[in-house]
Amino acid sequence: MQMSKERVGALIFLLLSVIYGYYGGQIVLHPGDELEPMTARTLPYVLSGLGIFLSIILFAKSGQSARVILSAEKYDWLPVVLLILLTLLYGLTLDWLGFLVSTTLFLMCGFWILGERRVRVLLQIAVPFVVIFWFGLTQLLDIYLAPGRLFEGF
Amino acid sequence: MLEGIYTGLTTALLPTNLVMVVLGCFVGTFIGMLPGLGPISAIALMIPITYSLDPSSGIILMAGVYYGAIFGGSTSSILINAPGCSGTVVTSFDGYPLAAKGEAGKALAIAAYASFTGGTISAIFLLVAAPMLAEVSLSFQSADYFALMVLGLSAVAAFSGKGQVLKAILMTVFGLMLSTVGTDRATGVERFTFGSIDLLDGISFLLLAMATFALAEALMSVLNGEHKESDSNVTDMSQLGSMKLNREEVKEIAPPIARSSVLGFLIGVLPGAGATIAAFLAYGVDRNIAKAKDKLKFGKGSLRGLAAPEAANNAASSGSFVPLLTLGIPGSGTTAIMLGALISYGIQPGPRLFVDNPEVFWSVIISMYIGNIVLLILNLPLIPYISRLLIIPRPILVPMILLFSITGVYLVSFNSVDIVIMAIVCSLAIILRLLTFPMAPLLLGFILGGMMEDNLRRALLVNDDSLSFLWERPITLTIVVITALVLIAPVFQQTIKRLFKIGDQDKDLAVD
Repeated sequence: MQMSKERVGALIFLLLSVIYGYYGGQIVLHPGDELEPMTARTLPYVLSGLGIFLSIILFAKSGQSARVILSAEKYDWLPVVLLILLTLLYGLTLDWLGFLVSTTLFLMCGFWILGERRVRVLLQIAVPFVVIFWFGLTQLLDIYLAPGRLFEGF
Repeated sequence: MLEGIYTGLTTALLPTNLVMVVLGCFVGTFIGMLPGLGPISAIALMIPITYSLDPSSGIILMAGVYYGAIFGGSTSSILINAPGCSGTVVTSFDGYPLAAKGEAGKALAIAAYASFTGGTISAIFLLVAAPMLAEVSLSFQSADYFALMVLGLSAVAAFSGKGQVLKAILMTVFGLMLSTVGTDRATGVERFTFGSIDLLDGISFLLLAMATFALAEALMSVLNGEHKESDSNVTDMSQLGSMKLNREEVKEIAPPIARSSVLGFLIGVLPGAGATIAAFLAYGVDRNIAKAKDKLKFGKGSLRGLAAPEAANNAASSGSFVPLLTLGIPGSGTTAIMLGALISYGIQPGPRLFVDNPEVFWSVIISMYIGNIVLLILNLPLIPYISRLLIIPRPILVPMILLFSITGVYLVSFNSVDIVIMAIVCSLAIILRLLTFPMAPLLLGFILGGMMEDNLRRALLVNDDSLSFLWERPITLTIVVITALVLIAPVFQQTIKRLFKIGDQDKDLAVD
């Protein structure tokens, strides 16, 4: 099934607005709040309603216009997906490996994903860069960076 | 006003602040040159550094980065036909053909002189207009602020381009939704935190800005395969040709520069318009009023076609500071991010800024002028050298930009969960970008959301829980009417266009 970019976006926003509105209704109110003209739920309700209304208009309107089909093929997906996974991994390992090790690995893997395969170049750029960066942060700007839980015993 | 200028001068000319302007212009030029990375990303990358500075120095650094990024965008438009940001797209129309003819030096010089003049004229206007507007806006109440914020958000959506209005409004609503995450400031109730302690304070503005702009823009360039492109077209930058202009050329570009500077400032002041629209409009105006012979040169290396948008985009950049400094309402994504940073410093932009923090107010205005001088006398001669940084291979540059974005957020919160959230937000931003949803309205909605809710609540409290303040107060009513017009304008525009089209078809039929 082919669908225009507008329609895909409209459906995403419709779903989002409905979920947002549902959780908006779960916001706990203080006793007596129901008598107030504006509570913690008011804006979420208005925004949810507005979101649903606008996404329906966008969905209906995009049917009339010339369709621009979303095509996944013309993009270079693999390196982007790998870089996002690398960022996730960096976030998960930073506390364990510490800034120096995890950042060096992050940069080396990043260079590698984007096509730099010479290990010597990977090391020559990543290691001095991270060491200088770390030195600047910890020694010049006096920012404390924890050594990483794995190395705490050493 | 003279006292204010003196305050501004004494603050802006402090050695630290001068270093900030120079550094800002330099870094901004470099980041702005990188295709895909615009001023918003450039400023977002600078925010963590500004946290350690005093507010004046911080905002001066960011303002320097802003002009630098626009100037850098022009440079890459001229040299490699790859605009660094949307505001400099028009620059490439005539700038690149000039460079292709071997007159890159001349094109860069014209861009620099036009930017300098646009920035200077605009800074003078700002010097006069901002204090006047600030004094008027001191009489504004919560109701007016609420209406103004709605106007700001509507205008950004309305000016977002053909076919984009509805998407921009949706993104604004999405931004407003994100702003409701966290503890409600008025009632202390948790909203959309899902029991997570990390979300009690809401989503970090810096995280959102970095993930949706710096990180997403860098990854979009990879997605578009730009990291594979060879840098052969960047290598011959040492041979830019002469940067000198003769008297005839100066005579030719002076009138369009003057015209476009005024036009650019006026458009910049309007919320939602900004540098891109200013540049396109200035180019269009100048082409329309050019003589038939000159008109043919547009798009083939016309000096006027290069000077007009360059003056306009710089003038609009300064102009966009008027609503930010006087009303506390950003007119563009770039000024929205600056507003977010100012709020993080504990400074509330708006009419009180003029009274409570005059040194910030005036030093920003004065530093704009200094920034323009720095760009002209320092950056222009250094362009051949700065542009060599573009030779750094993309496979090396992109991971470094990612690292700076990530560590920028991490070094403020020291919470590694933020990096994970960034990766998720960035993935969403990439999907939305692919679906051609604009990102700036999201940021604007997010930053203005909290303030808008507070002002609405206060206005309702003052007005006995009635919404009648929207039509009872003349100032509020005026703003509401303008908002309605701004929102209705695109619909009318389409209808009129359709009518004209039908008219043309009828005419054709009649001729047949």
